[in-house]
Amino acid sequence: MGHLVGHWSLAIGHFLCLSLLLIGCGKPAAPNGSATGSSDKPLTIGLSFETLQTGFWVASLDAFQAELDRRNMKMIQAIADGDANRQIEQVKNFITRKVDGIVLVPKDAKACIPIIKAANAANIPIVLFNRPPDQSDAQSAAVVADNFALTKETVAYMMGEAKKTGKKHKAMVLIGDLGDINAIGRRDGFDAAAKEAPEVIEVVARVPTEWNQEKAQAGVVNALQANPDISFIFTSSDFLFPSIVSALKSAGKYKKIGEPGHVILGGFDGDATAYQMLADGYLDATGVQDVYFEVEACVKAILDLRAGKPVDQTIKDPGFVIHQGNLKEKAPRMWGAKVRR
Amino acid sequence: MTAAVTTNHGLRTTNSVVCLLRSEYLVLLLSTIYFLAFAPFTPGFATPDNFANILATLLPLFMVAVGQTVVLITGGIDLSVTSIIALTSVTGAAAMSNDHGWLAGSPFAVPVGILLMLLVGALVGLLNGVAITRFRMPPFIVTLTAMMFFSGLAVWLTKSKNIGNLPAAFNALGGKTSLAFLVVAALAAAAHLMLSRSLWGRWLYAVGHNPRASLISGVPVSGVVVSAYVISGLLAAVAAVLYTGQAESGSPVLAQRLLLDIVGATVLGGTSLFGGKGKILWTLFGVLFLKLIDNSLNLLDLSYFSIMMVKGAVILFAALMDALKNKVFLGK
Repeated sequence: MGHLVGHWSLAIGHFLCLSLLLIGCGKPAAPNGSATGSSDKPLTIGLSFETLQTGFWVASLDAFQAELDRRNMKMIQAIADGDANRQIEQVKNFITRKVDGIVLVPKDAKACIPIIKAANAANIPIVLFNRPPDQSDAQSAAVVADNFALTKETVAYMMGEAKKTGKKHKAMVLIGDLGDINAIGRRDGFDAAAKEAPEVIEVVARVPTEWNQEKAQAGVVNALQANPDISFIFTSSDFLFPSIVSALKSAGKYKKIGEPGHVILGGFDGDATAYQMLADGYLDATGVQDVYFEVEACVKAILDLRAGKPVDQTIKDPGFVIHQGNLKEKAPRMWGAKVRR
Repeated sequence: MTAAVTTNHGLRTTNSVVCLLRSEYLVLLLSTIYFLAFAPFTPGFATPDNFANILATLLPLFMVAVGQTVVLITGGIDLSVTSIIALTSVTGAAAMSNDHGWLAGSPFAVPVGILLMLLVGALVGLLNGVAITRFRMPPFIVTLTAMMFFSGLAVWLTKSKNIGNLPAAFNALGGKTSLAFLVVAALAAAAHLMLSRSLWGRWLYAVGHNPRASLISGVPVSGVVVSAYVISGLLAAVAAVLYTGQAESGSPVLAQRLLLDIVGATVLGGTSLFGGKGKILWTLFGVLFLKLIDNSLNLLDLSYFSIMMVKGAVILFAALMDALKNKVFLGK
């Protein structure tokens, strides 16, 4: 018993020392820039990304770095690797460092609410990038692509191409993680476009991918085996194209536009793979999220919030559809084309 | 003469190194040194706010690592804990949510929801334990497949959607660090007493050292192993309560990427992967060290990939030390 008490006393003593050190050394970190931004120190913005899994997020992070450099502001970053609780911890680290603003790519619309509340409590402006939060009393702004409208427009273009062939096409749609509101918007945009012209396409396969390449590939292979005459494919994100191309190649169905047996292909995001497929003549169209617009809007919203100016709760990026007809004109604004260079 | 003094000095140094390596406070000492070394140049590291942040994130990880410690002592491993956290998170949330929960608006929503979470955790642990003891299946395979199955089940049940709008009283359990601290401290103390003071604790170590000899000596080996997995499931469910409360929503992918931290922190503390050795206090030190590394590197604005590399290297080093200690001191 005495031995036991001794061990625990030693351990508790050690812990108390560590706690005292933690608290004793505890001079709060100097704030990076004043609340008004009038200090000589550059403002520091904390970027918390849920993931860097796809090219879109990497390109966005790079675009933030470039935009903040341009404005002589400092960026610190944290990646939560798909873990909502880790993201809460990381944003609290930003608050500890007394950043001047927070940009958040949340894991999901619900788990980000305590994060926004923590930023609100610390009086630090917070803007959500590309994913909006659920309704709550937490105060934030969000810059998001108009997923529904842009998808609908992209699919409408693809259906126009399908109509030119004079036959009814069997269609496959790859759906993202339904915990992600963007995935829901794109699914609904696809369904709305498909409903408008049932004489052009019949949806025979809906592949749930949960934003996972392996699941997408397995789903596409299965769907092509069950329906070998699928001739129209839309993916809710361009990052799934490698899985689609691989499955189409295996089935002998990967053909250029204009070649017999070409499968009409469309996507969403505007990544480097999509740009290459457009340039090579395999991809019909993709809905491009205007990363540079979204990044600029985020930084501007943070500065406006700091200055006490009114900011819309949701700032929409209209994006644009890029296709064979406008490739040269639109490519300079397509983030995937810039990344490729 | 000089040679003898040098030899004595060398021996003393070797003995000191051996004593340090064998000390159960080595990881706590390393944590203190690490903190002192990083505090001066890590912005915000040595502040009360950050201490509260470390504590809030340490508590649920410690809880699930305590369960892992119990299982590792028996010579097993529980890889299903992350799926238990996810499954219990969505089960509790589905019961308690004010949106469409089965118990929405009921005054019993929170206690019944938490009981349900604990029940599901214990049940998955029971299934693991029974599969391992009855069918003599390797714990690695049983718990790995359980992880796959129950992770899939959590996603399937919720159609991959999070469940929000949970009662404020439930969110407070994870969100208020003082409350979470009391729960975790009480359970950790109970686990410590059970391991160090009870017959069951002695059986647990005996099974981990040599299950065959334990069986011959009259230890109910199967029962002890099953109980270890049930405890691991229960404590994973407690961790789920805290994590879900922190995020204010039940998630089917909660803790999906946490397995390395759970096993890593336990091994880092000194609990042996070979069974028969481990203490709750050691696990606390392991969790603390891992959290200090995580937190400081994050505050230093290191990239995510660098943090993963450092953590992976530290855990690998701890596992290597475990293997070396077994070889040198125990001749295993």
